[in-house]
Amino acid sequence: MTESQYSLRRRLDKLFVPLTVGPTVLWIAGIIVYPTAKLLWSSLFFTHPITGQKQFVGLRNFRRLLFGDGGALLNPSFVSFTKNTLIYVGFSVTISFLLGLGIAILLNKDLKGRGWLRTAVIVPWILPYVMSGLMWRWMFQAQYGAINGVLMQTGIIDSKIAFLSDGTLAMMALIIADVWVFTPFIIIILLAGLQNVPEQLYDAAEVDGASRWSRFRNVTYPFLKPSILVALTIRIIFDIRALDLVWVMTQGGPGTQTEVWASWLYRTAMVFNKPGEGAALGVVMLAVTFGIVAVLYKLFGETPYES
Amino acid sequence: MSTKTSPYARLTESLGLDTDNEWPSVVRERLAAYGLLGVYVFVVWFPIYYILITSFKPTAEVLNLPITFYPHEATIQNYVDIFNNRPFELYTFNSLVVASTTTVIVVTLGTLSGYTFSRYDFMGNKSLLLSIVAARMIPPIALIVPFFSIMSNPPIIGGLTGSLYDTKIALILTYTFFNLPFAVWIMKNYFDGVPESLDEQAKVDGCSTWEGFVKVILPVAKPGIAATAILAFIFSWNEFVFALVLTSSEQAQTLPIAVSLFVADDFVDWAHLAAGGMIAALPGILFGLFFQRYIVSGLTQGAVKE
Repeated sequence: MTESQYSLRRRLDKLFVPLTVGPTVLWIAGIIVYPTAKLLWSSLFFTHPITGQKQFVGLRNFRRLLFGDGGALLNPSFVSFTKNTLIYVGFSVTISFLLGLGIAILLNKDLKGRGWLRTAVIVPWILPYVMSGLMWRWMFQAQYGAINGVLMQTGIIDSKIAFLSDGTLAMMALIIADVWVFTPFIIIILLAGLQNVPEQLYDAAEVDGASRWSRFRNVTYPFLKPSILVALTIRIIFDIRALDLVWVMTQGGPGTQTEVWASWLYRTAMVFNKPGEGAALGVVMLAVTFGIVAVLYKLFGETPYES
Repeated sequence: MSTKTSPYARLTESLGLDTDNEWPSVVRERLAAYGLLGVYVFVVWFPIYYILITSFKPTAEVLNLPITFYPHEATIQNYVDIFNNRPFELYTFNSLVVASTTTVIVVTLGTLSGYTFSRYDFMGNKSLLLSIVAARMIPPIALIVPFFSIMSNPPIIGGLTGSLYDTKIALILTYTFFNLPFAVWIMKNYFDGVPESLDEQAKVDGCSTWEGFVKVILPVAKPGIAATAILAFIFSWNEFVFALVLTSSEQAQTLPIAVSLFVADDFVDWAHLAAGGMIAALPGILFGLFFQRYIVSGLTQGAVKE
């Protein structure tokens, strides 16, 4: 090796850290700091929908968002869409968590064909959400949908139900689709956590005559806690911001009965062409997301990324 | 579970010697587990089955009552139609280009920086890593306004390229942003599990840091790289919201958008939608069937999804 090759090698080695980390840091920083700053900045402007002229309005977008134009104490849309979001997120996260926990416990048993079962269980989560949303819309379709078909042809109901034309039923349909899509995620995360529980502890608990519940509470749960935190955090955050299923299944309808924050944001910014108000809602969602993360960390006492 | 309460009965049961019952409790429990899992798998797969058979039904049968649970006259006409009447080859091409390019960038940058985050204690490495993870907490939907305006009017390369709106580049840049943090995280965790003695051995053998990384570490890291690549590919392939916001024509629209286009205001073309949906779902189903192990390991190490 010549002298100059050797010194080039030394120099490249010295640059190992900046050369490996640099591009990633620049990419993420540039593309986080700039859009986030732009988000905050755009939330302070009003853009004329026709002329496109921008006007600085300070916090007026936030005031409109939270308190509305009229005399009401709070913006009625904000109240009702927040309620929808809470119902949607609350029910889907709870149901998919309990279902996922149950299936994970079953899959953790020493069963033949466990690999195949795990494969069969994971698939819904890796399909495009749009396709899953449209698939469920087809399942719930009033005339030719499979759910009406099964219910009619088995004689459970006499007349077809227009699931997606009724506010409550449409919300229920959204929750079913959401549970269908995201339960696999819970299953995988909890299954990984269950594998950390030492087998001997179960045996010991069994010898002590501990009941099934007490075994879960005192043996499984402490080991599972970090996985539960990861699963719940990501699930809640994802559900608040996910638009795909809602947009293709109901578009927030009928009326605005399934309008959630994500679809409201999309509609405000992209359909009604009010980027300022959309950005203000984006800022609110950002704050709420970080708030939820903080609360969950506090409740469980550790960060999900150090488990 | 048995409801017996006498100490003797409890003892025999805990030893698996269930005297009252011909089947020991272990067998009963296992049968119950199979039963419950079977019901779950059936319910989970039924909708996929229903859209699959819809894609093979002629339109007349789709709109016929009572509904049928298998195609009486199976046809591939729907699949032929969507390539003939709509530019599905372009949508598929766009999806492939966007998802693979994103995957290559994400895996390259994620592997390099994941390794360094795992091995080197450089200034600010902890807070840098934490900010990268925190980046995952930002709700992407909150950023549709800034991304739309940035891509329509790119601040840095704008003078060279003009607007990036409705280009595959806009999608690749965006998806790389959303996938890179989790890739760094998966790879860092993966390298944490690779013994440092390997690095040292490479050094003893006279490798430079780069040679050691390429020749010794990378081959060991293949499963982690596979997991990252599969997840990055699936996430980019499936993404819908930003593709909806950032594209408007078939030069950049991806399959999820193409599928959603079958929904007109009051009318949905279910037979063709089902065929398009199956094409969009294909990578997910294939990856799920053949690479489930990598998906699970990647997920549990990264525990993040877009």
